[in-house]
Amino acid sequence: MTATALSRPDGAAPADPPAGPAVRLHDVSFGYGRDPVVHGLDLRVEPGEVLALLGPNGAGKSTTIGLLLGLLTPAAGRVSLFGLGPEQAVRRGLVAAMLQENQLLPRATVGELLHFTRGLYREPMSLDEVAGLADVGDLLGRTTDGLSGGQAQRVRFALAVVGRPSLLVLDEPTAALDVRARREFWRAIDGYAAHGRAVLFASHHLQEVDEHAGRVVMLAAGRIVADGSPAQIRRTVADRTVAVDVTRDGPDEAMLRTLPGVASATVAAGRAELRCTDADAAVTALAERGLLRNIEVGAGSLEDAFLSITEVR
Amino acid sequence: MRGYLRLELRRTLRTPGFVIFTVAMPLVMYLVFTNLGTVTGRHSRDAALYAMISVGGFGAVGALLNYGASVVADRTSGWLRHLRLTPLSPLRVVLGKGLTGMLLAVPPVLALCLAAVLVNHVRLGGGQWCALVPLMWLGATPFVLLGLGLGYLCTAQTVQPANFVCYFGMSLLGGLWLPLQTFPAWLRRLGRLTPTHGYADMALRVVGFNSDPAGLDAAVLGAWSLAFAAFAVWAYRRSAARKDA
Repeated sequence: MTATALSRPDGAAPADPPAGPAVRLHDVSFGYGRDPVVHGLDLRVEPGEVLALLGPNGAGKSTTIGLLLGLLTPAAGRVSLFGLGPEQAVRRGLVAAMLQENQLLPRATVGELLHFTRGLYREPMSLDEVAGLADVGDLLGRTTDGLSGGQAQRVRFALAVVGRPSLLVLDEPTAALDVRARREFWRAIDGYAAHGRAVLFASHHLQEVDEHAGRVVMLAAGRIVADGSPAQIRRTVADRTVAVDVTRDGPDEAMLRTLPGVASATVAAGRAELRCTDADAAVTALAERGLLRNIEVGAGSLEDAFLSITEVR
Repeated sequence: MRGYLRLELRRTLRTPGFVIFTVAMPLVMYLVFTNLGTVTGRHSRDAALYAMISVGGFGAVGALLNYGASVVADRTSGWLRHLRLTPLSPLRVVLGKGLTGMLLAVPPVLALCLAAVLVNHVRLGGGQWCALVPLMWLGATPFVLLGLGLGYLCTAQTVQPANFVCYFGMSLLGGLWLPLQTFPAWLRRLGRLTPTHGYADMALRVVGFNSDPAGLDAAVLGAWSLAFAAFAVWAYRRSAARKDA
């Protein structure tokens, strides 16, 4: 992606077009005391990419984000954003972030916060533009103390994008939102990314990642275990469970495991539970063999899915 | 940084209790002290003037310590971390916070001077006012450093008691409530070395009420300023190392 893709919606090029990859992690490790949290992370994100860091809780997603923003200092390895150190990149306004645990400043109005934040950047959006993008136009006169979770999240998003950062980092941006707020929120993020900026977000919702990311990097226990398109990841992640009744002389675990789309199988008390990378294929195979008895298809937890990946390896 | 100052000022004025704690309380104390009727005649004029300076200083010190405590909330809410992810440099964040504190020390000083003039009929020459008000205001600078230091060091639970001890302890010992002359000799010697005394004595000199030579006051205030600055820098670094700054 070239600098022209980073230009503003109105077509004017940024005064200082960033060069190099949006994110470059080179063999980065970090730990508290002797407990390593992430190991040997290698990652390169180009401008224009929308990348999801996917992983169960405790996989090292927030730590990775802290490292790439310069909030944490790596024990080993190098971090650069647009060829600069993280702190320089932040200082130049190339990067902005929405972190999980940050609350909004109390006793300030949304308008005051936006106005203040705009003033910190060289080429910020106008209040109207950011209010439209983040859907905060009706909140400008409200103080931050009385906002609902969804409203507060929209304001935090507005604060992150108002300076037109070339890289936007979001840590679990929709964790506290209900389904509707989540959909609206993603519309805003997709709108921002559509202008060719890099967006990196952490999530443990496989579906969210599937719909919004162009690329998925999967973390488990502090390591990158997969890196590819959402479709590729979906084929690796066994996130569906299929359960059927089995008779005593029916199929055993070893046989079930060989069925297409099945990553692992357990049989207990007359019921087989299959963890599937492709539930459709697994159900079709069960049907062909006449094994559909009291079938139940469910969404497995991502934690379990990751376990199955690491077990397979 | 002007934007940051404006934001901080507006927020602080919205803080419940800020005006009560930093303006109303010293004002009420002043009016009670000077109008109880125990001091009469020529002495009552002196008392009104003396108390205007010492209680005004008390208010200014309170405003600065109280404001410094808001750093704790900034830290725990993640606001400082948020600011670290903007182009505003940490130095400017600290400076902005300090300057806002200094502006907030103005209202108690002015309120006390106005009350002295309007209620207690204190009269001073133009030159004296011009020297006195800036001294009462700017002389409080070291306390903004102390307040910020406490804000970076303390937790939400410990900041109020720490502030209380510093505020009331130093005010009492430094003679901001009662003149040092009313203390026993050993306590007076201790009191003369407090930053609050150095601060108030500088202003009292303008109206001839000082108890110590200018050199001693300046040395005391200067030494404490350095100590509080070192403390604030140390507390800030400690907090930054814990990654909550």
